[in-house]
Formats: sequence, structure tokens, C-alpha cells
Amino acid sequence: MIDSSLRWVDDRLGIAKGGRTFLDKIFPDHWSFMLGEIALYSFVVLLGTGVFLSLYYIPSAHEIVYHGGYLPLQGQKVSEAYASSVGLSFDVKSGLLMRQAHHWSADIFLGSIAVHMARVFFTGAFRKPREFNWIVGVTMLLLGIVNGFLGYSLPDDLVSGTGIRIAYSILESIPLAGSYLGTFLFGGNYPGNGIIIPRFYLLHILIVPALIVGLLAAHLGLLVKQKHTQFKGRGKTEHNVVGSPMFPTFMAKTTGFLFVTTAVTFILAGFAQINPIWQFGQYEPFQISYAVQPDWYMGWLDGALRIMPSWEFVGWGHTIPLEVLLPAVIFPGIIFNVFFAWPFIEARHTNDLAYHNLLDRPRDRPKRTGAGAMMLMLMFMVFGASSTDVLANFFQVPLNSVLWFFRIAVPLIPVITYFVTVKICEEMRGAEGIGKRKPPNVVHRSASGEFSTVPAEARPGDGHEELEAVPVPAFIDMVPADLATGPGIRRVMR
Amino acid sequence: MIRGRYAIPAALLATVGIFGLMAFSPSAAQADSTTPTTVASAAGGYAYPTPTSTTPTTSPTSSAPSGYGTADITLPDSFIAPGQALFDASCASCHGADAAGTSRAPNLQGLGAGTVDFWVSTGRMPLAISSIQATVKPPRFDRLQTLQIAAFVQSKAPGTGMPIPIVNLSAANLEVGGSLFTLNCAACHTITGAGDALAGGAFAPSLHLATPTQIIEAIRSGPGDMPRFSEGNLTPTEAHDIAAYVHGVIQHPEDRGGFGLGGIGPVGEGFVGLLVGVGLLMLVCFWIGERT
Ligand code: HEC
Ligand code: HEC
Ligand code: HEM
Repeated sequence: MIDSSLRWVDDRLGIAKGGRTFLDKIFPDHWSFMLGEIALYSFVVLLGTGVFLSLYYIPSAHEIVYHGGYLPLQGQKVSEAYASSVGLSFDVKSGLLMRQAHHWSADIFLGSIAVHMARVFFTGAFRKPREFNWIVGVTMLLLGIVNGFLGYSLPDDLVSGTGIRIAYSILESIPLAGSYLGTFLFGGNYPGNGIIIPRFYLLHILIVPALIVGLLAAHLGLLVKQKHTQFKGRGKTEHNVVGSPMFPTFMAKTTGFLFVTTAVTFILAGFAQINPIWQFGQYEPFQISYAVQPDWYMGWLDGALRIMPSWEFVGWGHTIPLEVLLPAVIFPGIIFNVFFAWPFIEARHTNDLAYHNLLDRPRDRPKRTGAGAMMLMLMFMVFGASSTDVLANFFQVPLNSVLWFFRIAVPLIPVITYFVTVKICEEMRGAEGIGKRKPPNVVHRSASGEFSTVPAEARPGDGHEELEAVPVPAFIDMVPADLATGPGIRRVMR
Repeated sequence: MIRGRYAIPAALLATVGIFGLMAFSPSAAQADSTTPTTVASAAGGYAYPTPTSTTPTTSPTSSAPSGYGTADITLPDSFIAPGQALFDASCASCHGADAAGTSRAPNLQGLGAGTVDFWVSTGRMPLAISSIQATVKPPRFDRLQTLQIAAFVQSKAPGTGMPIPIVNLSAANLEVGGSLFTLNCAACHTITGAGDALAGGAFAPSLHLATPTQIIEAIRSGPGDMPRFSEGNLTPTEAHDIAAYVHGVIQHPEDRGGFGLGGIGPVGEGFVGLLVGVGLLMLVCFWIGERT
């Protein structure tokens, strides 16, 4: 009965073949291949919690008198957006948990994208034929950052409002087009006539997530089509993929991982406070609090802004605030262009136009690894610079010294990092036996008390661990015995 | 190596974790209670924990409070002599025997008893190390001794400077205090009162330790790099509203939602998100994945 109706569907849609390709997809088992999944699943958590929030959040700058659970705010005039966000935190059951889960998973989402991207970068997985997927990935990172900023602005509290104010100045600093862009987005001069919140809301919950979903589909589609890369190893060549099949092994693993990601997010949301907007108060354009920082994934932009000396270009009847333009427009512009273009920059530099399905070990590519370490260090330093005041306060040193420390360290330390990394990679490559599994030794004691060491004989369980036998469903072709490297392991030709 | 067999226990554990959290999370638990612990709602206004430091336990007579915010402590003349002895022992080496200042420390005459009370009761004075800015320490003198020193300094220029205010917050308005605080103080002390570094090597200290009296004294005297707010800038009522907000809300924040992470905002949150969130999940990857 089920069989015949399934066949009926398949006769018309012909999905069995595609479904089979999908179920047959081979996933390499190396742990670093799961990092992208953290991003995928925290995006799922973002969607879920986001839908919950949008049931209660009111995207309006309309002023109302607050009557809710947070007593110090009673009777004050606040925007509906702020009132409903505080309401989510105080009056809606599980509302605060959901708000915090949404925010924590945004932090985890972007963090895991960064880690995933680092894995792809350091192993050279972006090389031909996977340049497209790299570009798709960088675009998702960009959209994720943008959406995080948009969401952070929605509660209309003092801290996020200051962020919008800064964003407006950044837009305005762009020569010629800037003030028009600002007016266009804000529907007038800053702070606009309350139109910014509904606009950000639309972008945040619909347009940008939809773009991300589309790119995600493309990302995974390309992954299935081009198949995974893999590390060099026994039985692994440029022309095959070794790993677990989608069904049943990987399916079980990955579903478990979805639960674990959700659990970690909700553990954080339940135990660690994030963005307590009720303590910040409603945003008023004329108020400001010190120690205002954006979320960490925007921190590097803020840091660049902070350490920039105040330069200005005045001429031809225009003032170009270089102090904003350089760090907040040109700097991220360069960074993202380098991200996008990296596969092509590297291919041109190495003259390497071949197909690559096997990954590099980072130490085998000292220059690439050095460049990656340099970029990570640069990001870390600029991020550090976004907390100049917090650091100065924490270490009880003058703010100005911290500022000058970063002005020197931000350009200098990444360069040092590059050379040190290259050196380390070269040394590691030179060392003998490194990267190889050490065989166990057996220590013998002779009758006269003399000790000697002999390498042990290989036993099952040393080296590559044995796999459990996994029953192969009938509808997947069995692997010919001569291709199987072990029970349960599947191998397909590309 | 496929750790498929761990996936199911992990999934079970995780699900239990989620439901457990939903049930026991602070927000779910607190959602029913409409009375937060820190600020008890009373008819028409709010009740605060009665500040103990505001009512001197010793003999100084206070002029009868007419409303709140306008009454000051009058220090009896009998305080001056013991005050002088204490001053000679602990302060005169820097400020001079008659508090007129030396090359090492400023003139104190005319600053008023309130200013002296602030600097001594917060532990700033006597100065321990000459850093850019005197820091808050456990005070050296008890309340009576502090008032005696204040009386001595006051006697050098009677009738001038800021007296020691009597602070009674029972009628203060917390909401007004909140918006006045955001407007006047948050720019330096941050919106959560955690304090922050300022330009020029100074720093605005955390407001979590100051007593209501010290808050009013700071507002009126403007210690160090802090501006002085005269009664024209902030009326006595407004100053009391601010003190009430600092005492009632800033010092006892509504910290639902878990550990407060120090109230320093996204930098701390970012570290936790990356180290705990992403870090834990990477460990899980490492656990269920292959490690060669
Ligand atoms: C080691 C030297 C030293 C000692 C001892 C000392 N002071 Fe000071 N005092 C200073 C300095 C220096 C300043 C200025 C500090 C600043 O502005 O941060 C100061 C500032 C003050 C001020 C604030 C002056 C203003 O203009 O606002 C008061 C009040 C004061 N001291 C009272 C006292 C009293 C009372 C004692 C004794 C209990 C005392 N000091 C002991 C060095 C000292
Ligand atoms: C221009 C920045 C600035 C502003 C605005 C400001 N303060 Fe301060 N405040 C400071 C600095 C700097 C100090 C430390 C003074 C010193 O120790 O030399 C301070 C100290 C204090 C202290 C003493 C804290 C302690 O525990 O010793 C209190 C209380 C205080 N401020 C309250 C306020 C209140 C209330 C307002 C708003 C009406 C305010 N401040 C506005 C900079 C500021
Ligand atoms: C890339 C995906 C997303 C990211 C990075 C992201 C990030 C954020 C952040 C950082 C906040 C601020 C939370 C706070 O502290 O209050 C926020 C708020 C919000 N988000 Fe998202 N989000 C994403 C997707 C979504 C989706 C898909 C929806 C709806 C379906 C959504 C709905 C909301 C709503 C309604 C708020 C305001 C809630 C409030 O302020 O109380 N988000 N988002």
C-alpha cells in the first residue's frame, strides 16, 4: 500500500533518483567537517526562536506609556518596540529564555561560520572546483553579520540605538552618495520619523533570512554535487570519497548534533544573561552611555573606528570624514573583497589550475597558513580595540595608553604572526616522523635487569579504529567487497 | 570510526536538557511573580531598603526635615577639638595644619563638611598612593570620627561649602531618577553603573558601593573629574530621585536571565558565546568525529 503510493508519486515526480543520490552521499568522518553543521543548526535555532519572538514583538516607534512587569519603567513614555521587548523579558512566559536563546544562537551562528571558514581556508578546500561555494559562504557570513546588526537594533534600547546612530554616520561618510543613502534608508534625516524600526524588522525577519536560506540551499546543493573533500589517507585519492553514507550513519549523527546545538544554546540562554535591555532604558537620540559596544561579530568594525586618528579631508566644497570612511567603509570593504577573491588570488599566485579533492595539511602550505593566521590575528586585535574602555578600566591603565597600544599593535602584530607561522610550518614539515601515528612500544626487562624497547606488533584497534557493521538498506547498492576499506565504510567514485 | 552509537544517548540527553531548562529557567519561574525582589511596590510609590548610613547614630542634631532633600546635618562644636586631633594625625602632613593646603595637596577650607565626608567615608582620604586619581578603599575612620574631622575642616570657614545632607529616599521617584540618571550620569558611569575609563587617564568608578549620602555628596561636590551639579542643574528633589535610582535599581539590578556577566556588555558576551557556545560544540564535533 505504502509502496504503491510512493511509486505513484515517483512515477510523476521522479524524485527517487535524486533522493537516492542524497541518501547515498558520503560524509567524511573527520571532526572538522562537522563545524559547518554548528552554523546550520544554530541557524535553525535562530529561525525557531525568531518566529516565537515575532509573535510578541511590535515593530513600531510609536510612543506609549509603559505598564508592565518592570517597575522602574512604569508610567514612562517608551516606544512600542522597546515596551514589547521588555515585555518579552518580563511578561511573556519563556519570553526571556527565547530572547536570550535567539541572541546566544546569533553569537554561536556567526562564531561557527568563522570557525568553519577557517577550516575550509587552512585545508585549501576552497580550491578548484569549489570556488563558488567559498563565495556563497562568504556571502552568508556577510548577510549573517548584517542580520545580526539589524536584530540587535530592534529592541530600540539605548545601546542598540547608539549602534544605529553610528551606522548612520558611517553611511553618511561615503563621499557623494552617503547623505542620499542615509536619507533613503532612514526616510529623512537621522533619526528619521520612526520608519527605521519597521524597515529593519522587515529586513531582519524576512528579506535577509530568505536570502540566507536560498544561499544555504545552493551551498548544500553544491556540496552534494561536487562531493566532499577529504584528507589524504589510506585508500583516499583524488578520485574517491571515503566516509559514512548519509543514511543511516550520518543521519543519526547529524540529528544528534542538531539536538546538542539546541541544548548548548538553551543552556546558555537559561544560565547566562545577554543584552539586559531593561537596564539600558529606551533609546533617546540625545542620550548616550559609555561602554557601548556592538555584538562581537561587529566588534572589529567598532574597533577600527575607535583607533582611527581623527583625520578629515576638506576640499571642493565637501568634507570627507576619513576618520569614519577609512575604518568603517574602506577597511571592511578590503577585508571582504580579499575574502571573496582569495581562491583566485591564490590560484594566480601558485599557478595551480588543477582540480583538488584532497586537502592540504596546514603545515604543508606555510604561506597560506601564515596569511590565515595573520587575518585571524588582525581580526582579534581590532576586536580587542573595540573594548579599549573596558580594558582600560579592567587593568586600571589610562585609556590613551590602551588606544596607542592598539594603534601600534593592530598593524604590527599580524605581520609578526605571519612570519612566525610560516617559520613554525616549515620547521614542522622538516621534523622527522611528525604527523605520523606513533607505534606503541613494548619495554622488555631481561633476566640481568637490562631494559630494551621494541616496537609493538600492530593490533586491531591501533591505528585506524574498527567500525561497527552498519546494515546497508536494500535500496542502496552494496559496495563491492574489493572497494570496502572496512565494514560500514562506503566509497564512491566522483 | 563512527560513534553512531553515541548519537542516540546524546540526543536523549539534549532533549531532557531542553525541557528541563524550559521548566526551570529563571524566566519561566519568575514570569508568574509580579513582585520583583528588589523594589517592592507600595501604594503610590516605592519602598526602599532603609539606608543605614544616612542617619548618624551619634549626637549631631539635625535641623527638622521639611519635606526631603533640604535638610542637612548640623555638626556640634564639641566635634571640632577631637576632629582637629584626628586631622593633625592623618591629614595635616599633606593638607597643612589648618587645612589650607600645601604643595602636595589642595586647600580644604571652604569646601564644606559634605565634601570632607565624601572623601573620607569613601576611603579616598587619607591618600595612600599618589596615583592620578584617589581610589575607593575601606574607610579608615568610623562615622563619628569622620564627622569630627568634617566639623574641624568646616570650622576653618564656617557657613561655606557643602554641608552633609540628610538623605531620605522614601518619597523619591524612581522613574524620574532613571531618566535623569541616563541623561546626566550614564555618559561616564555607564548605563548599568559599572563604571568605565575616561579620557586623560581618569576613570569613573563603579556606583555599586556608594551610599545614598555619598551619591548626593558626589552630585553636589563633583569629586575629581566629575562635574559639579548645582541646585540649578538638579533640584534637591531630582538629586534624591537619582540617588534612589542608583541605590534601588543600579545597585540591585533586576538580573533575571542568568548570570549577569559583569554588566560590561557585548565584549563579555562575545567571549562567553565563542568560548562556551562554539567551544562546547567543537568539543562535541571532536567527540563524534574522527580525529586523525
Ligand atoms: C598623602 C597625602 C594626603 C593625605 C595624608 C591626605 N590627603 Fe586629602 N588630598 C590629597 C591630594 C593629593 C588630593 C587631591 C586628590 C584628587 O584631586 O584626586 C586630596 C584631596 C582631598 C579632598 C578633596 C579636595 C577637593 O578639592 O575636592 C579632601 C576633602 C581631602 N583631601 C581631605 C583629606 C582628609 C580629611 C585627610 C585626612 C583624613 C586627607 N585628605 C589626607 C593628599 C592627601
Ligand atoms: C564627566 C564624567 C562624570 C559624570 C557626568 C558623572 N560622574 Fe560621577 N564620577 C566621575 C569621576 C571621574 C568620579 C571619581 C572621582 C575621583 O575619585 O576622583 C566620579 C565619582 C562618583 C561617585 C563616587 C563613587 C564612589 O563609590 O566613590 C558617585 C557616587 C558619583 N560619581 C555619582 C554620579 C552621579 C549620580 C552622576 C550624575 C548626576 C555622576 N556621577 C555624573 C565622573 C562623572
Ligand atoms: C541570520 C539569522 C538571524 C540573526 C543573526 C538574528 C539576530 C538577532 C539579534 C542579535 C537580535 C537581538 C536580540 C535581543 O537581544 O533582543 C534579534 C532580535 C530579533 N529577531 Fe533575529 N536573527 C536572525 C533571524 C531571525 C528570524 C528568521 C526572525 C523571525 C522569523 C527573527 C526575529 C527577531 C525578532 C522579532 C527580534 C526582536 C526581539 C526583541 O528585541 O525582543 N530573527 N535577532
